[in-house]
Amino acid sequence: MMRSLRNISALAALMIFVMTAFIPEIVFSQTARVLVPAGSFHSILPEVEGEPIVVDSFYMDETAVTNEEFLDFLKANPEWRRSEIPPIFTNNGYLKEWKSDMEPGYEKLGENRPVTRVSWYAANAYCADRDGRLPTLNEWEYSAQLLEFNTEAEMNKFSSGLINWYSGIDVNNLAEVGSTGIETTTGVKDQFGLVMEWVEDFKPIIADELSLDCGTVGRMNTLGSVYSYAASIRYITRMSFNAKITTGMVGFRCAYDEPAPSSQNQNGVSL
Amino acid sequence: MKSAILKITLMVGMVLFGMSSMLMAQTEEYTLDGMTFGMPEAEVYTEDYTGSPVVGEYVTQLPNLAPLDYEGNKHHEVRIDIIVQEIEVAEGVRYQAWTFGGTVPGPVLHVKEGDRITFVMKNRSDEEVTITEPNKGGSPFMNQVAENPYQKNSSAIMPMPHSMDFHAGTVAKDDKWRTIGPGETIKFDWVANYAGSYIYHCGTPSVLMHTAMGQHGMVVVSPKDGYPTDYEVDREYVVVQSEYYLTKGAGDLYTYDYEAASNNNPSHVVFNGHQTVLHDQPLKANAGERVRLHFSNNGPSGTSSFHVIGAIFDRVWLEGHPFNEMRGMQTVLLGASNSATIDFIVPEEGKYILVDHEFVDAEKGATGTLKAGPRKK
Repeated sequence: MMRSLRNISALAALMIFVMTAFIPEIVFSQTARVLVPAGSFHSILPEVEGEPIVVDSFYMDETAVTNEEFLDFLKANPEWRRSEIPPIFTNNGYLKEWKSDMEPGYEKLGENRPVTRVSWYAANAYCADRDGRLPTLNEWEYSAQLLEFNTEAEMNKFSSGLINWYSGIDVNNLAEVGSTGIETTTGVKDQFGLVMEWVEDFKPIIADELSLDCGTVGRMNTLGSVYSYAASIRYITRMSFNAKITTGMVGFRCAYDEPAPSSQNQNGVSL
Repeated sequence: MKSAILKITLMVGMVLFGMSSMLMAQTEEYTLDGMTFGMPEAEVYTEDYTGSPVVGEYVTQLPNLAPLDYEGNKHHEVRIDIIVQEIEVAEGVRYQAWTFGGTVPGPVLHVKEGDRITFVMKNRSDEEVTITEPNKGGSPFMNQVAENPYQKNSSAIMPMPHSMDFHAGTVAKDDKWRTIGPGETIKFDWVANYAGSYIYHCGTPSVLMHTAMGQHGMVVVSPKDGYPTDYEVDREYVVVQSEYYLTKGAGDLYTYDYEAASNNNPSHVVFNGHQTVLHDQPLKANAGERVRLHFSNNGPSGTSSFHVIGAIFDRVWLEGHPFNEMRGMQTVLLGASNSATIDFIVPEEGKYILVDHEFVDAEKGATGTLKAGPRKK
C-alpha cells in the first residue's frame, strides 16, 4: 500500500497539474464529477496475475448518491419506484425505510444522506440514466487507496479504525454525504466511513474460485499491511452480495468516461 | 396433439429426473463404523420468514441444558437465525454483537449421539429482530431469554455475510458451511456422529472478527450409552468461556478493536458472555451433590485453564467423549474450541469460584460462582 502510494505520488503530482486544467469543466448542478487520473495499484486478490493493476483515467461522483438525487431519478423513471420495480431486480427490502414510493421521509432519512437499500440493478439504472455507469471494482479500489498519509503508523491507525468501522456501521444514523472528512488526493469523498458502495463487478470471476474460509483473510493479506486486512473484509463482504440484495449499509456512486457536460447542456438534459 | 403433450411431459420429466439423480450421486448417504455420512446438498434460498429466530425443542439459553426425554434417536428440526443485537457484556459496556439467535454465546443445542439435525438459518443481519418478548413457536431458549435477558438485548442492524460451522457435524464445508448474504437462508442436514461438546461458530472471513463479534455457541451431543456416573448427577450446567475485543467507540457504544484482537489482548474474558453473570446469577447446588459442567472454551484465540476453587474434578471427559476419561484433575487445559465434560462433588455448603487459572484472564472477567446450600440427602 505504502509502496503503491509512493509509486502513484509522482504521477499524482503530475496529474494535479492536468486536473487544474479540467476544474472549470466540473459542473456542480448535480453531484460534482471528479477526475481520477490513470494509475496503478496492488489488488489484494491473491490470484490476480500481472500486478500491479493499471487503471485508465475516469470520472467519479465526488460523493455518494443521496436520497434526494434518487428521488429525482424516480420522478423521471417510474418503473424503478418501490411499488413498480420488477421482483427480478430486487429483493423485498428495496427502499424499505422510505415512507412511500415518492416520499423518502427526510426527517428520518435526511435529503443529503446517501440512499441505501437499493439493489445493484437499481444502482446501475440510476447511473445509466446519468449517462454513467457504476465504477468497476478496480476503479473504485484504486481511487479509494489514493489517500495521503505521512507515516506508515498513521496509515495503520487509519486502517485499524476502518476495520472497526466495518464491524459496526450504524445504518440508522448515517451522516450526510461529504461529511466524513475522508478525501482522496483527487478529491473523491467518503469512500470510507459512510456506507459501503456497489461496484459494477462486485463479484469478480475470481470470487467463485476463492473459497471463503478462515484462511482467506490471510491469503488476501498480500500487501502485508493493516490496509490490506481492512480491504479483505470489504472484498469478502461485497463478494457475498447478490445483485438483488438491498441493505442499509450499501449505497453507490457513479463513474463516467467523460467529464460532465457543460452547464448549458446539463440544464437541457436534467430534470 | 394429446400424445405430443404427453411426449414432451415425459421428456421433461426424464431430464429432470436425470438431473436430480446426478445431484444425488454426489451426496449419497452411507454408513461407516456405525456412523452416517454423505448428507444431501445444502439449499440456499430466500424466504419471507419473520417468525421466531430460534426454533427447536432442545435449544436453551446458557447455562441451561434441555433434558433429552426421548428413547433412541430423533430427527431434530432446528432454526438459529443470524441477527444483530446490541448487548451488554459488562457493566456499562455495550456493543452491536453479531449473533446466532440474539445472544453471545448463541443458544445451546442438545442432541444425542446418532441424532439427525435438519438445520435452517436465515441471515437476518439487515433486519431488526426483538428477542426479549415472549413469542410463539420459538424454542425454550426464546422464553428463557425473555424472562432473563441478562445481556439487556436490543435489536440492531449490521448487514454482513455469515455462515455456520458446527464442529459437531462431519460434512464438506464448501457446501454446508457456505457463506450466505443478508436476506438469504441456508438449510442442510447433519448427523451427530460423535458424542461430546462442540462449539459452533461463523466461518466467514475474517473468522477472528466474526467469532470475536459474538458468533459462537455450543452443541452438547450426549453419548448414546451415557457416561458412567450419569445416575449420580444432581445438577447439569453449560458454561462457555470466550473473549471480547472491544474499544470505546465514538458514541456510547463499544466497537470491535482490531489491534487488540490481532495482539491476543482481549478487553474482556467471560463466562456465558457476560463479565459478571455467573456472580449475579450463581450456579446452584447443595453439599454432597455431584455437579456436571459441560465446559467449552470458544475463544476465539485464548486458552483456558479451567479450575473450580475448592473442588477437585472427579471425572473429566476431554471433549465430552466418554472414552476420554481422566480423574482427579485440578485444572483442565483447553485450547480454543476444546471442551470437557466435568463432574465434581460439592464438598460443603458455601461458595465455589469457577475460574480460568490463567489469572490475566480471570482478572478480565473469567470467573463465576457456584453457590452451595446445606447437604440435603
